[in-house]
Amino acid sequence: MTASDAILNVSDLNVAYGESKVLFGVGLRVAPSAIVACVGRNGAGKTTLLKSIAGFVKPRSGTVSFGGTDLVGRASYDIAKLGVKYVPQDKKVFSDLTVRENLELGSYSTQDYDWERVYGYFPKLRQLLDRKAGYLSGGERQMLMIGRAILGRPQVLLVDEPTEGLAPSIVTHLKDVFRDLSSSTALVIVEQNLPLVCAISSKVYALKEGHIVAELSRGESITVDACERYL
Amino acid sequence: MDPQLLPSGVIFGLSIGSIYFTMAIGLSLCFGLMRIISLDQLLYYSLGGYITYSFGVVTGSVWLGMVGGTMVAAVVALAVERLVFRRIYEREITFSMITSFGVLIGGIGVIQFFWGVVPRPVAVPMMTQLNVLGTEVPVYRLVVIGVAALVYAGIWVFLNRTITGKAIRAGIENVEHVEGLGINVSRLFTLTFVIAGALSGLAGGLHAPLIMVYPQMGLEVLAFVFMVVIIGGLGSIKGTLVSALIVGQVVSLGSLVYAPLAQMAPFAAMLLILLVRPTGLFGSALLKR
Ligand SMILES: Nc1ncnc2c1ncn2[C@@H]1O[C@H](COP(=O)(O)OP(=O)(O)OP(=O)(O)O)[C@@H](O)[C@H]1O
Ligand SMILES: [Mg+2]
Repeated sequence: MTASDAILNVSDLNVAYGESKVLFGVGLRVAPSAIVACVGRNGAGKTTLLKSIAGFVKPRSGTVSFGGTDLVGRASYDIAKLGVKYVPQDKKVFSDLTVRENLELGSYSTQDYDWERVYGYFPKLRQLLDRKAGYLSGGERQMLMIGRAILGRPQVLLVDEPTEGLAPSIVTHLKDVFRDLSSSTALVIVEQNLPLVCAISSKVYALKEGHIVAELSRGESITVDACERYL
Repeated sequence: MDPQLLPSGVIFGLSIGSIYFTMAIGLSLCFGLMRIISLDQLLYYSLGGYITYSFGVVTGSVWLGMVGGTMVAAVVALAVERLVFRRIYEREITFSMITSFGVLIGGIGVIQFFWGVVPRPVAVPMMTQLNVLGTEVPVYRLVVIGVAALVYAGIWVFLNRTITGKAIRAGIENVEHVEGLGINVSRLFTLTFVIAGALSGLAGGLHAPLIMVYPQMGLEVLAFVFMVVIIGGLGSIKGTLVSALIVGQVVSLGSLVYAPLAQMAPFAAMLLILLVRPTGLFGSALLKR
């Protein structure tokens, strides 16, 4: 794959929090409608990588190119508006707002009220519309976070440990959702659940102490064993 | 205490509480969303009072003066947000407190420069009295209460029925997540700050005919307004309303029992409430971001 095929092209990214360096020359390429996974131990820098792409963390150096636009230095709301959306790891919905209001905010900047599409993926949200999001279960919160993020049809969705702490049935559901979403949206998924990663990804990057130590591609060796070797 | 004084005492308390509420609501929103303690709101309150005085003298209408005071306060707040707060949102809360105190003190100097140090009387815009349960009550105080009720309703509708208001409520919970949805948070900050400034100006305008305008008038209400915010629970609209009503009554009825109580009783009430509910009446642990 050449650089121009990629919708998202990260290269030589260096990120530090104050004096402590977290990412070292990280690069990754994401093709349109690909599912790219990033695996690594706790503290490897996975969240930092996604946040740097989404503009929440300012990199020391490096480039993040999205369809030819450089994202480095742009405000995070601007990056989200351009079509690169980040679904955070913490599963914090706006708990004092209803599910409906949470979804409305997902449509804020793009005026995309295609909620039917969201219900298509997550039928349960329709029944929960008037409930305060604070009362949702962990799985329902994750559905809401992803549902909210796909309004406006982002071209790239950065999803941070979506299945962490969720019941197996919901994990299976999310797997199907990601597969289906990838026909229109490129996905970058940070995930510890290796069987899930291997089932859906077309490419896997292994991140170790801030360095990309392996890049596994479909057809070659995306297996749980192969992934584990690099953790 | 003479029971004959009770109805007018209650209405006096309601009107004082209404003025505190009108100011405190903006402070509470500013803290909730931007995590700043904006002492400079007391300057917009004083400005609101002074502009009401001057416009009132020039146009002959104190009501028009209040409209002008609200608008001037909003404009000055906008300028201060752009020039000062923009640069310090990221910093510690204490930093905003010190900086805004500087703005307040500097602003008081400017007021003294233009208007001098002598207190100026502002005419009560309506002198009518109304008979409530056997006592005469100034209608103007009822108007003040009505205006505060409208402010509460307006803020409620804004926060709950408009998309911008919903984004502000969401931002009170988590600014980063709001930004992640493609919403320009710094615009929300500016808007919230200007609304707070306008309401402070309105409060100053409403209060002016009941007191007199003088350069330190903001410092005089500072303690009470912050008490309202703290008792209500930082960032809570309903809490701010309830606590403004409580503080208003404690000030008013306290002074009926024994005059010095007007100053002391609210502090005692605050300590009692905070002993029982350290986050204030409606403050939630949620706000510990
Ligand atoms: N805001 C911050 N300030 C300082 N250091 C940070 C900050 N956020 C993360 N770090 C440090 O950066 C390193 C990478 O953190 P990061 O959250 O990116 O890891 P991660 O791979 O997402 O881990 P996890 O699997 O636990 O989510 C860690 O050592 C962490 O302590
Ligand atoms: Mg992480």
